[in-house]
Amino acid sequence: MNEQFRIAHKLGLMFLPETVLPEDVKSWAIDQLNAKSPALGIKRIARMAKNVPTVWPKSVQPDLLERDNMFSLFKYNKKREEMGLAGFTSEAAIRDNERTNTLGVLDELKFAQRNVYGEDQLKLRFTAFWANHFTTGNIWDNQNHIGHAIDEAILANLNGNFSHMLYKMTTHSSMLAYLDNCWSCGENSENAYWAKKDGFQAGLNDNLGRELLELHTVSPTAKYTELDIKNAANVLAGWGVWPGRITGDDELLSTEQRHKKLLEMGGTINSWDFFKKTHAEPGTKKVLGKVIPAGKGGLKQLTDFLGSHNHTIDYISFKLAQHFVNDNPTKQDVDYITKAWKVGNGDLVQIHTAVIERAITSDEPKFQWPMTWLFHVIRLSGATYFEGWDELEEYNRGVMHARNIFKELGQSFWHERQPNGYPLDKNEWLSGEMFERRIRFADAIYSGGNPTSTPDEIMDRIGANESTRSLVNNFKHRKDQFIALMCSPEIMGLENA
Amino acid sequence: MPKVNLTRRQFLQASSASLFLAGLPLPGYTKDKPPGTISVIMLEGGMDGLTAAPPFGDPNLSKMRKGLIPENYLKLNSFFGLHPSFQYFSGLMANNNASIVHATNFPYTARSHFEGQNLMQGGGLSPFSEISGWLGRSLELAKLPGRSLSLDMPLILRGTENNDNFYPASIRGSSNLKTKLIDMISMFHKDESASVFKKVSVKSTQKDSIVPRDPASLAKYAGKAMSQEGGPLSSVIKVTQFDTHSGQGTDEYSGHGRQLKLVDDIIAGYKQGLGDAWDRSIILTLTEFGRTVKENGTWGTEHGYGSAGFLAGGAITKSRVIAKWPGLSENEQYDKRDLMSTIDYRSICAACLENALGLDHDVIADKIFYTPDLLRVYDYIFS
Repeated sequence: MNEQFRIAHKLGLMFLPETVLPEDVKSWAIDQLNAKSPALGIKRIARMAKNVPTVWPKSVQPDLLERDNMFSLFKYNKKREEMGLAGFTSEAAIRDNERTNTLGVLDELKFAQRNVYGEDQLKLRFTAFWANHFTTGNIWDNQNHIGHAIDEAILANLNGNFSHMLYKMTTHSSMLAYLDNCWSCGENSENAYWAKKDGFQAGLNDNLGRELLELHTVSPTAKYTELDIKNAANVLAGWGVWPGRITGDDELLSTEQRHKKLLEMGGTINSWDFFKKTHAEPGTKKVLGKVIPAGKGGLKQLTDFLGSHNHTIDYISFKLAQHFVNDNPTKQDVDYITKAWKVGNGDLVQIHTAVIERAITSDEPKFQWPMTWLFHVIRLSGATYFEGWDELEEYNRGVMHARNIFKELGQSFWHERQPNGYPLDKNEWLSGEMFERRIRFADAIYSGGNPTSTPDEIMDRIGANESTRSLVNNFKHRKDQFIALMCSPEIMGLENA
Repeated sequence: MPKVNLTRRQFLQASSASLFLAGLPLPGYTKDKPPGTISVIMLEGGMDGLTAAPPFGDPNLSKMRKGLIPENYLKLNSFFGLHPSFQYFSGLMANNNASIVHATNFPYTARSHFEGQNLMQGGGLSPFSEISGWLGRSLELAKLPGRSLSLDMPLILRGTENNDNFYPASIRGSSNLKTKLIDMISMFHKDESASVFKKVSVKSTQKDSIVPRDPASLAKYAGKAMSQEGGPLSSVIKVTQFDTHSGQGTDEYSGHGRQLKLVDDIIAGYKQGLGDAWDRSIILTLTEFGRTVKENGTWGTEHGYGSAGFLAGGAITKSRVIAKWPGLSENEQYDKRDLMSTIDYRSICAACLENALGLDHDVIADKIFYTPDLLRVYDYIFS
């Protein structure tokens, strides 16, 4: 591969057929960190007509409050469906409730289109890395909030400080719900006191406290104790409210009633800054030797402390190197990133710049995730594989929803999955079924996506190596050529030019 | 090369292979018991053994976790009960085809899912020390094939060329796989990716009927494949969402109960698929840890240590609850919070391997679990 595509393969999503290739690709890659990230999308005016890239209309970009309200209404209607109330139990009503009030399908399409048409391909790759680092899977009906976390807590903070991103993700509804923090309360909190008096169960949940230490920051190498975990959970106690819900699934509150209650509980209707004093553990807490004061401000002190901890820097620098440089990064690869992290005090632009520089310096190949590979294939060929946002409501037998595409591919940020996220090295992805999916999707993209470039044109443009050309030239039919090309070691990131 | 003492089974394997090349029948199998099958159900997230098989004979159970005890549990004996989700399993217990091991775990106490899952699959001496799994290494040693019912290849089955996986695909607009195309792609790949594409090529020649994706159907499919001549001798299925920090519930419709029901359905699916091969089969569950004895503040439980293991299959001829009960009072708990583990679950895995694959216990202890003095518990399960 030529240098432009080698770098776009390792660090980006590949250049679309119409994009003029940058001459100084290293400067281009670093400039990419400041590229604008508009919510691009395509609209298909009529079936098979040319796709028109547009900005997504406001109506399909709800803000957090709308997302909460939609989710609340979704659960409200679900409850009424369970109660067997007329108007809520028909198949049409159930489907309508899903379509109108849940956002998983729309958000996955938005994510897909942004990755296919976005001109900020490196930023999008870093966004995916962090979305994986701060995994919030779709359990507890988290689907209305995952996309918001990716857009607003990660992408919007990509050029800020790591500690800030850490704080914004830790306090996001998507994380607080996913790792069970919303109901947690300190054992000496007001809430626990009253619960005990009334004979109810209430107290601490250490799930987020544990993963904050193990996965999001210092990792087990820091040798924290069970008490450190408990104290971190105590700092977190009080944070969060179930997105769109307050008391639980049985709740039947109107939006106004819910907002009124939220104001009483946390003084705000903003679920991204929601702290219940009644649930907070009084007194200072000690985590890895750091004394954290009581109250709402304690968490920021904790995430700032953990975000700049040496173990955090080492652990995440290794992950960055493994994801972008090589499956088995060298000490020099990792050190290069940790140094930039320390020099810049956690400034993500400096960290990402170091990753870019190191990935360019290293001539090791890098095996790509299924979702990255899918975007590579679509962008390289100019195919139109994902539906337009205006088609979501239509039923079209020939078109798979983005959600189903990712599901079949075996990777999606909207899946129900474990908080350690997707593995960064190739070993986990080497399976017959995973590889079979790549063949099938290459086929489906060729057959249904009307690629604008032929395999030969793609190979010329990227400067494909001899081995790839030789593989592709074994076939007469263009479809076979296309599949062979996209499943070649070079495009999969298993071998170098 | 380290010197490996061949077990009788291995010797027969080796000799039958060479005899096969000579065009003669396989005399070894006519005299010796053919290998059994071993299936693993991985319960991801940490199954609460105290909910799955509540020791209601322990007076501390109700003191410690009043809100988590299933009301209509099935009675196993004077001490242990069974969660109501295990209707099918309880029938197997009654027929002497199933057992429960309680207060057991891999020797791992740090309560991380990811370290624990790595250990329970890798079977190494510390987390992330192994790049292969205990089942994969065993199949490699016995030269027998295994299959995972998943999109990925779980660590537990890695370490052998004889592994494969299956998960039904549903992709619009893709036609049938072309064997020649895949063979050619495989030729241009190297090392592992070449062998993975070769497996895809083999798939392309097989005509699989449409298999639904629910775990029970997958188990039925796996059982059927294992029952066939030349089929895999081992299979792995994963059930997620056992990490019940909140709203764990008690009955079969609760969060934990629904997951336990899936395990019950999977075992039923296996039995149906295996048919006559059930008689030489063993199925075992595997989970990274148990959960805290006490209920936490959000009607759930936190990560703990000891849990329970469920065993089923025709290879079991006498149902038992195998436990060295540690007690549930605070002083009897591990770290004053978790159910203590008094049985090393690796011994249970070793016994199942010994039964199904005919490997010698000492070989398993040494070469698979790197623990030469691993206790042999075979007779507690299979005699």
